[in-house]
This record gives sequence, C-alpha cells and structure tokens, in this order.
Amino acid sequence: MNAVVCNELIKQYGSYKAINELSFTFTENKITGLIGRNGAGKTTLLKIIAGYLLPSSGEVRVFGERPFNNLNVSAHTIFIDNEMSFSNGLTLFELLETAGSFYPNWDRGLAHRLFSYFSFNPNQYHGNLSKGMRSTFNMIIGLSSRCPLTIFDEPTSGMDSPTRNDFYRALLKEYIAHPRTIILSSHLLEEVEDLLEDILLINSGEKYLHMGIEDLKQHAVGVRGEAETVTRWISGIQPIHVQEMGAGMTYAVIENERSKKELEEARILGLEIAPVSAEKLCSYLTKQSRGGIDDVFNRG
Amino acid sequence: MYLTEVKEWDIVKKQFRYKLKSYFGVFNSMMAIQLLAILFSFNGTGMSGGSSGTLDYEVHYFTNDIIQVFTMIWAFISAIIITTKAYRYDDYAFVTNRKVSHYSNFLFLFSASMFAGVTVYLSTHLFKVLTHMLVDQSSIMVDSMTITEFMTGTGASAMYIFLFATAGYFVGMLTQFNKIFSILLPVVFIGALILDGLTGNPTLLINAATFFGSETSFIFFLIKVLGVSFIFLLGSMGISNQMEVSK
Repeated sequence: MNAVVCNELIKQYGSYKAINELSFTFTENKITGLIGRNGAGKTTLLKIIAGYLLPSSGEVRVFGERPFNNLNVSAHTIFIDNEMSFSNGLTLFELLETAGSFYPNWDRGLAHRLFSYFSFNPNQYHGNLSKGMRSTFNMIIGLSSRCPLTIFDEPTSGMDSPTRNDFYRALLKEYIAHPRTIILSSHLLEEVEDLLEDILLINSGEKYLHMGIEDLKQHAVGVRGEAETVTRWISGIQPIHVQEMGAGMTYAVIENERSKKELEEARILGLEIAPVSAEKLCSYLTKQSRGGIDDVFNRG
Repeated sequence: MYLTEVKEWDIVKKQFRYKLKSYFGVFNSMMAIQLLAILFSFNGTGMSGGSSGTLDYEVHYFTNDIIQVFTMIWAFISAIIITTKAYRYDDYAFVTNRKVSHYSNFLFLFSASMFAGVTVYLSTHLFKVLTHMLVDQSSIMVDSMTITEFMTGTGASAMYIFLFATAGYFVGMLTQFNKIFSILLPVVFIGALILDGLTGNPTLLINAATFFGSETSFIFFLIKVLGVSFIFLLGSMGISNQMEVSK
C-alpha cells in the first residue's frame, strides 16, 4: 500500500512554480527524508500532502484519498512544524489532553513521559514558550499522536543539540515500536541520515533524486588529482561537481558507474578515489549556479 | 483502508468543546462591554417632569436597551475575530476540515449568543440594583415580568445577538476571502445609507428593523431570525470552501 502518491504535481503562485511536475510514491511504513535547499519547495509540498494547500494541477493521494479539505486524511495525518498555532486559551497540559481527544491512536503515557522528561511546566501557555521549547512541544504532539502519516517539517529548528539528539532517538524508538509513514524534511542531511531509509531530493520544485539512503551513499565517487589527469580520466561524462583545489589539483565528483578495473587504473595514474557523503552529494546536486560562494568574492 | 473511520459529527463536538475553552477570551470582553453599557445606561433613555404648586416631580426612564445593543455589537465583532487567521488556524492544529470548522464555529456562536442573552437579562438586574443604590431618588418603579415574558424576552434578546453574530461571521469570512471587502463593505453600507437619505425619507434601516422588530408572533420572529442567520452561515461556507490554510 502506498502512503503518498504524487503525480505531475504543480503548485503555482502567479507565474512562479513552487512545485513543478513532481511525481513520486512513498510506500507505507518508511521514514523518508525530504531534502532540499532553502526555498526548494519542501514546505509547500508537505502542506499539499497534509491537505492545507490545493495543488494547481496534477494529483496527490494520501492513503488513496485526495487530502485537501479531507477529514479522514486530517485525522490520520499530523503536520508538525514550528509555526503550529495552538490556542493561548489552553495550558500546555490541556493542549495535550485536547490532542489526545482528537487522535484515535494517541499515546497518553508517552506524551506525559516526554512532557516531564523535557521539564515542561503544565500550566504554561504555548505562546510563552521559547522557540526551541515550542519545537519540542510540537514534536511531543507529533510523536504521541501516532498518526499513520506523520510529517515533520524542519522539526529541530531552534532546538539545542542535546534535544535534537533526544528527538532523533525518540523518533527512531517510536518508529520501531509502532511503524508508520514518516516524512522528515531537513536541510541538515548529515544529522538525520542515520534515521532515514529513503531520500527525496528536490530543488526549485523539481525532483532530483528519490532513492534509498544506502544507494545514495554509493551513488557517486570523488576523484582528486592533478587537473589534467582528472580531466582526461573523466572525459566523456558530465561530472556532478568540479572544484579547483589549487596548486594544479582538481576535485571532481562523478556518478559511480566505473568498473573495478577502471578504478584500479585511476589509482595507478595517481588519482585519489573516495566516497562522497550523502550530504555533500546533495549539496553538489542542488548547486544554484556554477562555481561557489568563492566566485562572489573573486572580482579580479 | 483506514482502521478507524472518522465520524464528522464526533469531530464537530470535539472542536466545539475545544473552542469553548480556547475562545474563552471573548466572554471577558463581553463582561467589560456590559459593564460599560450599564454605566451609559445611568443616563436614562428619557425624562419628563412637571410641577404644580409646591410639588415638583421628574420621571426618568431607564431601560436595558443600551446593554442589549452593546452586546449585539460585541457579538458582531467577536464573530469577525474568530474568522481571522490566528483563530482559524487553531483548528488545524488538530483534526478538522472546512465544514467541521464552520459547524463548530456555528455551535460556538449559537451557545455564546444564548449565554449573552441570559447575561443581558442578568445585567439588567445589576443595573436595577445599582440604580437603587446610586440614583438619589425616592422611589423607583420596576416592571416585573411573567415567566413567559421572561422566556420570550430573553429568547428574543439572544436571537438578536445571534443574528448579529452570524452577520459578523459572514462579513469576517468575506474579508478573509478577499481583503478588498474590508474597504468595500463599509463603503457600500455607508454609501447605501447616504443614498437612501438623499430623498429626505430614509427607509433602509427602518425597513430592516421593522422586518424583525414589528413581528408580533414569537415563532415567526424566530423563523425570520434563524432564516436570515442560516443564509449568512451558508454564504460563509460557500465563500471559504476553497480557501487554503497557508500560514
């Protein structure tokens, strides 16, 4: 069974396409990371899946139903981000109880244990919390609701690093104990890559990659060596990324399609072959323009 | 596909319960407004007097009209407030869709109006007591009501409040739908009054008031008010059906 299916999805604001012909499928009970640069369309996509926004064209299905304005999808999906609006008429404790009355799978015990672990004051109001505390509280709601589709949009923003690690651990434990479909959007892939099974990489509203995290780690190799040798060795294929290292050295990232023999030859030529981390690869793939930040400062 | 199918009415009830708690602030403002209205009511609505020989007398009339009118304005404004984003998105923290959100808002507005109707009646008593204490005059005569008069009086008061609340809800939804209505509606409303007054014989507000006010049968009055409110609510639902939740 597929949890989320998107087909040729487009979301347009005026002439600007925030989501551009995106098609993908998330199978049930998997943790998928939605990775992309700032403004790549991550939040827009997640809000469409959560049923908050209406797609301009194309189709989106959550558990086989169209999510927009759909009560069934709303009851089985929870969308957690740091802009969640909770009434200031209720204390944190009352908010937890209210959430519990809405979500059929709500785990009251877990909610209260997490609540006291992160030392919340039950009589405080959501509006008075600091940014990190607010994210933590939202995360408690997200985990305890045990929704079949749980969406976290940049859940860790504002959290300090121990809380972030606690969150990742809690998420993993919860997921193992009660498998569900989880979408986790982040621009810090390095931090979350141990959690993820699949990755969907988007940039300017378009799909770049959708594959398992292990495949992604094997997807590319980096070649470092003298500029001329590197250029000759990778001739004929379009490198993902090329970077001058100075002193006549070049670093190039190419897709990992070379045979063992070819790699052996490269070593003999004096080239260094090394794997590329998922985080680095994603940032190379979604590079905004040729060159890098250095070019901004090279005015000469 | 789902293990648990969601029952719409179930969620409406839950949202309603949630709203009674989370919108509690509107009742605080109602109390403040009614106290203010009591203060204004001390002026009295009319006065007559006379003298003959050594006898001087003045008759002051006091009514709770101002309290009722202020509460109606309060209902109108509170209903607009709950259509604003800050309040609308509170629903979306939990399970909802547009329909459920509207239904629970209607329930909230209705029960708030009932409550407000009763408080108008009660604040009239407070007003009477205060008049006894503060207005330095010898005797004050008070109309007393029978049970049925009390029921229809409070009911009508609550119905008027509900009418204004639904009107406010509709106006609020129009404004949320397109910001242009926040300019257009006052312009049209005041413009219509001016045009109406140009003839020297304004009829617009008078007609609107007599439509409800001169109804002698309580049942027909009820039908009129609920009918017009229903149109407002249906209109609000129609407008907002395709509205997105973009924070």
